[in-house]
Amino acid sequence: MILLEDVVKSYNGRPALRGITTSVEAGEFVFLTGASGAGKSTLLRLLYRAELPDQGRVRVAGSDLVGMSRHQVALFRRRLGVVFQDFKLLRRRTVGENISFVLSLLNVSEREQQRLVYLTLKQMGLQHRLGAYPDELSGGEQQRVAVARALVCQPELILADEPTGNLDPERSHELMELLKQINYQGTTVLVATHDRSLIASHPARTLTLERGRLVRDGWGVAP
Amino acid sequence: MNRHFARELRRQLRESGAVGGVAILLMAVATSWGGALLAARQWLQGQLLAQGREASIVAVLASPAESEPLRQALLAAFPQAAATALPPAAVRKQIASWFPEVATMLAGLPETSFPALLQVVVRTDDEPRLSAWLVARPEVTVAQSSRIWQRQLGEFASRLGWVGSAAAAVLLGGCLVVVLLVIRLLVLSHADEIAIMRLIGAHEAAIRGPYLGCGVTFGLAGGALGAVVLAALVLLVQSLVPTFALDPRLLLSLPPIGAAVGLAGALLGLVSLPREP
Repeated sequence: MILLEDVVKSYNGRPALRGITTSVEAGEFVFLTGASGAGKSTLLRLLYRAELPDQGRVRVAGSDLVGMSRHQVALFRRRLGVVFQDFKLLRRRTVGENISFVLSLLNVSEREQQRLVYLTLKQMGLQHRLGAYPDELSGGEQQRVAVARALVCQPELILADEPTGNLDPERSHELMELLKQINYQGTTVLVATHDRSLIASHPARTLTLERGRLVRDGWGVAP
Repeated sequence: MNRHFARELRRQLRESGAVGGVAILLMAVATSWGGALLAARQWLQGQLLAQGREASIVAVLASPAESEPLRQALLAAFPQAAATALPPAAVRKQIASWFPEVATMLAGLPETSFPALLQVVVRTDDEPRLSAWLVARPEVTVAQSSRIWQRQLGEFASRLGWVGSAAAAVLLGGCLVVVLLVIRLLVLSHADEIAIMRLIGAHEAAIRGPYLGCGVTFGLAGGALGAVVLAALVLLVQSLVPTFALDPRLLLSLPPIGAAVGLAGALLGLVSLPREP
């Protein structure tokens, strides 16, 4: 599902990722961890093609991300569900519209959009906030809307950047359980987090980054 | 996607606010102005064309006695021309009919105060040759052709057309710039949203479409308003000059012209849209 070969990325000459080589099989659940500035978000941005590597090869869901046309990039992103660290909700749209927008890109009928939006929001405990605007929601609620938007189109791959960053422990646990459940149904999930306790409570394959290098590929938290 | 497009278009129009209104008004002024000048030119040229099939020449003769021999000579040289000899008495009568307030004074003048005239109606094609023929005759003192003022009026109409077209082009260029700026401002204020839409897989048509639709709407609305203004102007002119007519195709062409200018402005405005890496 994901293949990285000797990936290098730097910003203004400052290296953010140095020679990352790894792969994630379809159906895996993987944590990506490391301290702040270790390169987690940069790696995720490369995976949803918001950035291009300076060097190396990135393949996601069978697509080589270098050399894609704009149209191909749009089609590729529709196959992913991305939970952004800063939520990236559309401020001028309601919660329902934020989620249905993704479905409208996939040409899902209006009726089906309404059904899926309601079911997904119910799953996230937000069905009563359907008509609210993002600015009217708490940080935790916005994060759950962002998760709902990533899940609604049942993507092949979910990339989540600190998805529990603004949630209380109970909601964090619920979200992780939800992601696990989706993973059991065959979706590949990659969660970037610096929260070691989250990994400890939901042990899975964990990739650890340190100053842009992949220093560990193992199960659960490093001893 | 249609619902998305319609919703986004409504938003862009709402957010463009007063500046959008200015774009529509400017477009209306440009299209109605350009349309009015074109209509005036078309009508003027139509009138000239209708009269241009025939030209009339008036020759002033040195002596009334020469009028009939000259008429005979002219008809022999130009059989297709129609010539009428006007003796001084007939000239006096005609002038008196044009200016009835001095008719009494004219009646008191001796007949010799009035020249004998030869009025000739000829096809426009033959007019230069016939004029030259008359001027060359010793018995003709002056020969004046209607083609002179028709030509001058034609040149004026042509100049009017050029000036009008240039002014309309400048105004439409101004409209294009206003639409461009409105779209650019909208794009800049929505830069974050556009980036998010791309990240979740929106294709360029879904992103750019509503902005292009916004430009086209400005143009279409401005052009339609311009057409209404032009139609009102034509009705006003027709109440003064009943023969004035407007080609309906000109009226119908204004909204599409406005839409095309709006589309061009929006396309240029979208040049500022940030690109994907």
